[in-house]
Formats: sequence, C-alpha cells, structure tokens
Amino acid sequence: MIIMSTRRWALTAIGLVILLALPLLLPNFWLVNIFGRALVYGIVALSLTFLAHYGGFVSLAQTMVAGVAGYSVAMMAPTAIPLGDMALPYALAIPLAVFAATMAGAIVGLIAVNTREIYLLMITLALAVGFSLFAQSNITWFNGYEGIRNIVGPEIFGRPFRTPLVFYYTALVVAALLYLLVLYVVRTPFGLVLQAIRDSDRRTAAIGFHVGLHRIAAFALAGFIAGWGGVLITFYNIGITPSSIGLWATVGVLIMAVIGGLGHPLGAFIGALIFALMDTFASTIIGHDRFNTLIGMVFLVIVLLSPDGIWGVGGRLAAALGGRNRNKNADGGATR
Amino acid sequence: MTPSTSSASDLPALVLAGVGRRFGALHAVSDVTLRIRTGERRAILGPNGAGKTTLFNTICGDYPPTSGKITYFGADISQLKPYRRARLGIGRTYQSSTLFNGLTVRENLYLAVRAAKPGRFSLIKPGPGHADLARVRALAEQVRVDHILDARIDSVSHGQRRQVEIGMALAGVPKLLMLDEPAAGLSAAERPELVTLLADLPRDLTLILIEHDMDVALANSEKVTVMKDGVVVVESTPDKVVDDPVVQAIYLGEGH
Repeated sequence: MIIMSTRRWALTAIGLVILLALPLLLPNFWLVNIFGRALVYGIVALSLTFLAHYGGFVSLAQTMVAGVAGYSVAMMAPTAIPLGDMALPYALAIPLAVFAATMAGAIVGLIAVNTREIYLLMITLALAVGFSLFAQSNITWFNGYEGIRNIVGPEIFGRPFRTPLVFYYTALVVAALLYLLVLYVVRTPFGLVLQAIRDSDRRTAAIGFHVGLHRIAAFALAGFIAGWGGVLITFYNIGITPSSIGLWATVGVLIMAVIGGLGHPLGAFIGALIFALMDTFASTIIGHDRFNTLIGMVFLVIVLLSPDGIWGVGGRLAAALGGRNRNKNADGGATR
Repeated sequence: MTPSTSSASDLPALVLAGVGRRFGALHAVSDVTLRIRTGERRAILGPNGAGKTTLFNTICGDYPPTSGKITYFGADISQLKPYRRARLGIGRTYQSSTLFNGLTVRENLYLAVRAAKPGRFSLIKPGPGHADLARVRALAEQVRVDHILDARIDSVSHGQRRQVEIGMALAGVPKLLMLDEPAAGLSAAERPELVTLLADLPRDLTLILIEHDMDVALANSEKVTVMKDGVVVVESTPDKVVDDPVVQAIYLGEGH
C-alpha cells in the first residue's frame, strides 16, 4: 500500500539513515539526552498531533494517558522501589501498561465524547490535573509525592536498557513504527472518517457514521501511542513521579506539538527535539535566572513567525522553491 | 416484478403527522402533516424562514421533532439518531455545502459509499480494484465530477461541490433523497444540467426538494407543498400552484 509519494519515501529513507547513523556521529550525552529524549517525548506529542490534526480534537490528557502506562509499568516492574506485590516480568508488564493506556484513552474519549474546542480542552485538562493530584496523594499504589523509582527497563539482547545504544535504538524503532502507524491509519476508512468528523461532524453522521464511537476509538488509538511514550519516558527517567505527569509536563507536550507543527505527524518529533535542546541548553546560554524567559521567547517567535510551526516553515519553503512547477501542473489539470 | 413494486408503492415513503419543532419559544415548524408516496417527486417552497430546512432536519434527525410523529415506510423514526436514519436509506444534502474540505472528491464520495455498509472502522486500505472504488467512479460519473476525482474539495467550484453533495447523498442507495436548495448559487449554465441530473434519478427513488428557484422546483416535482411561518399553507400540483392566490401573495408580496 502506498502511504507516501516516491519523493516522500526517498526523504524518509534519508532521514532514517541519518537517525540510524547518529550513534557514530554523536557522543552519548547527545544520543540519549537530546535525541533519545526527543524521540520518547515526541511519541506522546505524536499522539496529540494525531488527534488534533486528523480528528480536530486538541486533548490535554495525552500526558496523563502516557502517565497511566508509566505508572502501570512502574507498579509491575520487577526492580521497582518500593516493590509492589504484583511484580511481573517486563515482557508482560509493558504490553499490559500499553493496554492500560489504550483503555485510559478510550475512557477520556468517552468522557469528552460530546465536547469540542475550548470545552474539550477544559475537560481533558481537568482529567490530566486530577490524575496527577490523585497519584500525588495516593500512597498505596502510587507511592505519593516520591513516585516509584528504579524502573530500569528490560534487558534487550542481554544488554541493559540503560545502555545508550540500546535506549536510543529502541526509542527510534518504537517511534518510527508508531509514526508509520499514524501515516497508515489516516489513509484507511477509519482514518478518513476521523478527518470527515474534523471537517463536518454533522455531515459525517448524515451519511451514516456513528461519530461518537469513532471519536472514542480515535482517543483509544491515541492512548495506545501515548502509552508506548509513557513506558519509554519512565525508563528514561528511571522512574515516575506525579510532577512528571503534572501541569507543566502537560503544557510541555502541547508546546512540542505546536512548535513542531500540528500539520504533520513529523512535527511532533521536530518540536520535541527543539524542546529538548532549549530545555537543556537555555540555562548555559543565559544563566539560571533567565533561562525560562529565553525558552518562552523562542517558542513565541516560532509561533508568531509560523503559526503552523517548524513543519509549516518547511512546507512554505518547499512551496516557494517548487512553486513554478506546481502552477504548471495546476494549469495542465484545468485545461485537460 | 410488478406485484412487488405495486405493493411497495402502496406504502407511503414518508408520513408526517402533526410534526413540530420548537427552539425555546420559537416554533420553527408547527403541526406539519404530509404524506409522500414512494417514488414521488415533491417540492417544498416558501420564503426564507418558512421552516423548510428545519422540516428537513426533523426528518433526517439533526433536530428531532418536539411534537408529532414521522413514519418512514411504516416504521416510526421520530426519535432515531441521524446515523440510524441514514442507514435506513434517508439521504440528504445541506443548503450550505458541508463537505469534508480537507479531503479529495474521491475520498468524500468513498466515505459516503463506505458509510452505507458494515466495516466502518476498517483499518485496511482498499486495493485499487476494490468494488467500493468502482462504485465511487460510477457515482462520480452520475453526478458528472469524474474528471476532478483527485482534487481537494476546497479547490473545486461551487457548482461541482453541489454535485458532489448529491453524489454523496446517493451513495448509500437512498430510498428517500432530500435536497436542500440544490440550485442555490449555481450559474444559469449550471442549472439545466442540475435539472437533467435530477430527472435521470431512478424512478423508485422518493425525492423531496427544497427550492427557492421556481423553475427548478416546478420542473422536478409532481406535487408542491408551500410553507410559510412554519406551517403548510398550500399543497397542490406544479401547474396549479403558480396561479394560487396565497402563493402569489407570498412570492410577489415579498418581492421574490
């Protein structure tokens, strides 16, 4: 099945080769703390972009849904501190955690099924903050404010997950598979129905689709995507705390998706990379007192100059460079 | 063939009994009683605000009636959800185009074909030879948009959008087709084409047409219902309706 044009495939292949070769070019710090981090947070941003761009649902609950997976895998992890009474091998704990996130996504979709725009934002924000506060105050399962520590992740081919190469390549493979999943799904009947709902939900119902069920299914799929992100983020942070899924984390994922560009799934990863760079280096550029101001300014400039994010800049450059050809094609089509 | 057809046409396609729709204190439609035969071509006329579109909305379920009963081929559908009514074979178009702007003409028609059958959540992309895509092509030829299948909806002309609207309403093989001002905004050249398109529809299809343009309305109907202020004021045949004093008062008196 064709999901992309030949030129897109070529660009994707080049991008993939560069990403695969990164460990040869970069020191471990860059590999793990910039690119690895961008990949795992980018997965959560990808789930938001999927909902926002194809369904028209801007959900602030994606960090929370990722947190459901993160806490699930942490509770079941065989190395957790404190160790719960339901420790399972990672081979079981990870799929169960992703399943839990999928269900959490469906529940968010169900709760918000009749709301749109600002009301959808408010409901999903309330769910996100509520879950984070619940995790903070629940000692029995969530270990309260401290969270659950020492979630080191599984061994892959006999190597610990924390090895930079293992972490980076695992994150890359999972992110690439989920990215391709999104590109594929949006061309299927189900994905087309989502875009139809975005353009006119009334019309979608008038031709015979159950809009509510499609919305819930979309949130469940977004939960599945965010769940993988949540599991990998928990391994990256060697644990999970309530603050890592709190308001600031929620806003962080929204910023990634918006500055990268909501117009294309790749924007989520571009945004996550910029976010990781800014978050890491702003304090060395401008000092500890003002680094948040610098981050804010950069994001403001990006959004002001290009409302559709960095991806939008790329799109406009391509349009400007290829503009002559495109016009020629359009004329040809009209006179045919 | 003949016996089954005659028994089917004995049953009216649509019966409205005292149907009303209130929005707060506003009675957009009150006490409308209609009986539409299977295969009938019915035009609904009336000035702006007469309640024509609201009447459509009660029939397709966007705004279910607040009073009265709607019977469709003998079944009470008054409180069914819109998607259920669509699956029973009620197709409609909207007055202002509400197509899926981010998608192509082909994808719009494909969704309408897909909506009419099971597997609506399918995660499998149809192959190039799939029957659904053949159906899309046939529909596109029927409504004369087969040359712009790969164009995005927001890049095609207003007239073409109206044709896609009709194609989508036809995709589910409706038994009842409701067209809300299909001629609105069409150029003089596009209108005769629309009349032909409507005349070519299968005879067993029941058609209800809201139309401002008298010529299009009268050329495509066997019976005319005239509404004003939410109630039916005249029900007549096309040749008699133009001479009706009430209709003349409505249309000439209000400057139409």
